[in-house]
Amino acid sequence: MSKLIRIFSSRRAWAWPYVFFLMLFVVLPLILVAVYAFTDIDGHFTMRNFLKFFSHSEAIQTFLYSVMIAVFNTAICLLIGYPAAYIMAQEDFKTPKVMAMLFILPMWINFLLRTVATVELFNMLGLPLGEGALLFGLCYDYLPFMIYPIYNTLQKMDNSYVEAAQDLGASRWQSFWKVIVPLSMPGVYSGIVMVFMPTVSTFAIAELLTHNNIKLFGSLIQDYITTTDLLNYGAVLSLVLLVIIALTSFFGDNDDNGEKGGMI
Amino acid sequence: MRQFKMHNAQCTIILIAYLSLFFTPLFAQSNLTYDLHVGATGEVQVLADFPESYAGEKINITVQSTKYDVQGEYDFVFTNEEPVDGFAEVYRFSDEQGTPWIVWRNSKEIKNRAQRTLVQNAYNSFEAYLHEQIDVRRSTGWIWWVFAGVLLLGTAVYGGYVIYSRRKEKELSSVEQEMLRRKRLGQRRHYFSQLYLWVLLVVLYAPIALIAVFSFTKSKVLGNWTGFSMDLYANLFTGKADAGLNSAIGYTVLIALVAAVCSTILGTLAAIGIYNMRARSRKVVSLLNSVPMINPDIITGISLFLLFVALGMSQGLATVCIAHVVFCTPYVVLSVLPRLSRMNPNTYEAALDLGATPAQALRMVMIPELWPGMLSGFILALTLSVDDFGVTFFTKGSGGLETLSTFIYSDARKGGLTPELRPLFTIILLVMLTVLIYINIRNSKQEKK
Repeated sequence: MSKLIRIFSSRRAWAWPYVFFLMLFVVLPLILVAVYAFTDIDGHFTMRNFLKFFSHSEAIQTFLYSVMIAVFNTAICLLIGYPAAYIMAQEDFKTPKVMAMLFILPMWINFLLRTVATVELFNMLGLPLGEGALLFGLCYDYLPFMIYPIYNTLQKMDNSYVEAAQDLGASRWQSFWKVIVPLSMPGVYSGIVMVFMPTVSTFAIAELLTHNNIKLFGSLIQDYITTTDLLNYGAVLSLVLLVIIALTSFFGDNDDNGEKGGMI
Repeated sequence: MRQFKMHNAQCTIILIAYLSLFFTPLFAQSNLTYDLHVGATGEVQVLADFPESYAGEKINITVQSTKYDVQGEYDFVFTNEEPVDGFAEVYRFSDEQGTPWIVWRNSKEIKNRAQRTLVQNAYNSFEAYLHEQIDVRRSTGWIWWVFAGVLLLGTAVYGGYVIYSRRKEKELSSVEQEMLRRKRLGQRRHYFSQLYLWVLLVVLYAPIALIAVFSFTKSKVLGNWTGFSMDLYANLFTGKADAGLNSAIGYTVLIALVAAVCSTILGTLAAIGIYNMRARSRKVVSLLNSVPMINPDIITGISLFLLFVALGMSQGLATVCIAHVVFCTPYVVLSVLPRLSRMNPNTYEAALDLGATPAQALRMVMIPELWPGMLSGFILALTLSVDDFGVTFFTKGSGGLETLSTFIYSDARKGGLTPELRPLFTIILLVMLTVLIYINIRNSKQEKK
């Protein structure tokens, strides 16, 4: 007992339970995804699942389609979100802080409810559900994730750079493209990552917004992983998604990862 | 908080007009709306006396719903004799025009993809057919007229204002005109950027506003205004709502509390440990800590699902709680760490030197200092847990455990929302708004200090 007390009087040791917890519930499960992908249903090593993926045209098509939708959605969010973040961060536009908060608030409301609400809005306006509704819904769901990081970087930006550029004779347009945009790139990167990653892995939303007509990669994974005899193939699909996620987060490596955590 | 000043009349008018658009249902006449969804029993019931031998039999089917204002009678002729393999109560029959339809009741557990597709197809075609049969009258065309009217009005007011100010301007000298022109350019930039923000906000909040507005009427279908009523709120609080919804609310609160308490304790201890680590191991642990935050829901959910399968754990309340602690704790760690770096590191040692045990030092020295960080971590964990869908979906198992998110999902898949979700959602929205405003005010006060 006294030995135990001595160990835990070193504060460094207080993180051990958490490290153990992380190993068991974060690292091990991720390794398990790979293990399941490379084994068959009896637990023997096999490459069959991978070969199946490359000859499975439905899966490949769904995958490419999901990536395309995610790219589109990210582009739309950037196009709509950047001006909004820029306007709010601009001193001379006198936007109250509450406004920025209002833009972030939907992030905290259950995204499924928001999606269902979007579906109801489309129904009420008599608009058809489909690809357009899907893009609108995705954009609606993830726009706050684009606005927030860009707004943060723009607000922290030193305004004297812009003033210097204008003193040196740059027009408003020039100072925007040559000074503000390059300086806000970290925010843009992390915004892109924060929108692209959840969009490419989204499931459930697409089914609701398109009346089950369009299936995204996430839903496909969900289908396979929840049917017992196809679990290993589902693991392959998850692994593919995991690779995409890893690549994306590598791309946005320079950002601060605790965006949501930094909010409060 | 800076006070918001509305500078311009035209902005105000357009704004009010745009906003009023979303409250027009309040003043609209109630319209009879049919909305049809066919789903599992209990949602929409397809009632019929199914005969012993099906072939060639003509039956009359009554469609009833506990949730939608829908009723109807349909004649069908059975074409097959036996139920489809795998389902005890799936019936294949065709209507008078000879189109084949499949209706299933009490569909059993779906075992593979082929069956799922079969059921899905049957569902879609039957729904499409009934949609045609019952006149789906959604008389909402007037919204577009209101929309167009508002736009026209806004443009007219703005145009009038411009013409009026131009005429006034002609009486001025050229220097004054130039000054005015520049001033107006800046002003216009200001107004248009404000307008952009507001329009965006209105679009962002339109679906939310829709649900909030329709929480004050008791119609089953959203979009059908049947007069002001607080019945849904009353149902929600007196437990008269759907039993599934009630248990989902209970589980959501329970899971959120358990997850938030566990992750706050675990995360605070971990943060203290990480803070006192050497640089290299601190880097490694921080990286590990960020993994659950980077991982999308579906990956966290699936990987944990596989873990529980591999360990042979039966999935239910316990697994959901563990999963929630997994993705909440990193945020707690991140909210406690900044408090640690602000606090004097020697106070803990001083307490030990003065004879306190580590536990006493933690309780009486550390925790009071770290309290604000722990609290915001706790709140964050609560909201994240309540909000989560993906992870819960994969770890809840098939024992009938539903949280609010998964309940909404299965509800929406059956078609439409349980009416009581609307007031619940409105209340959640208001609570969120209050909490966020409170935190913002607190933060800006602290900044001033």
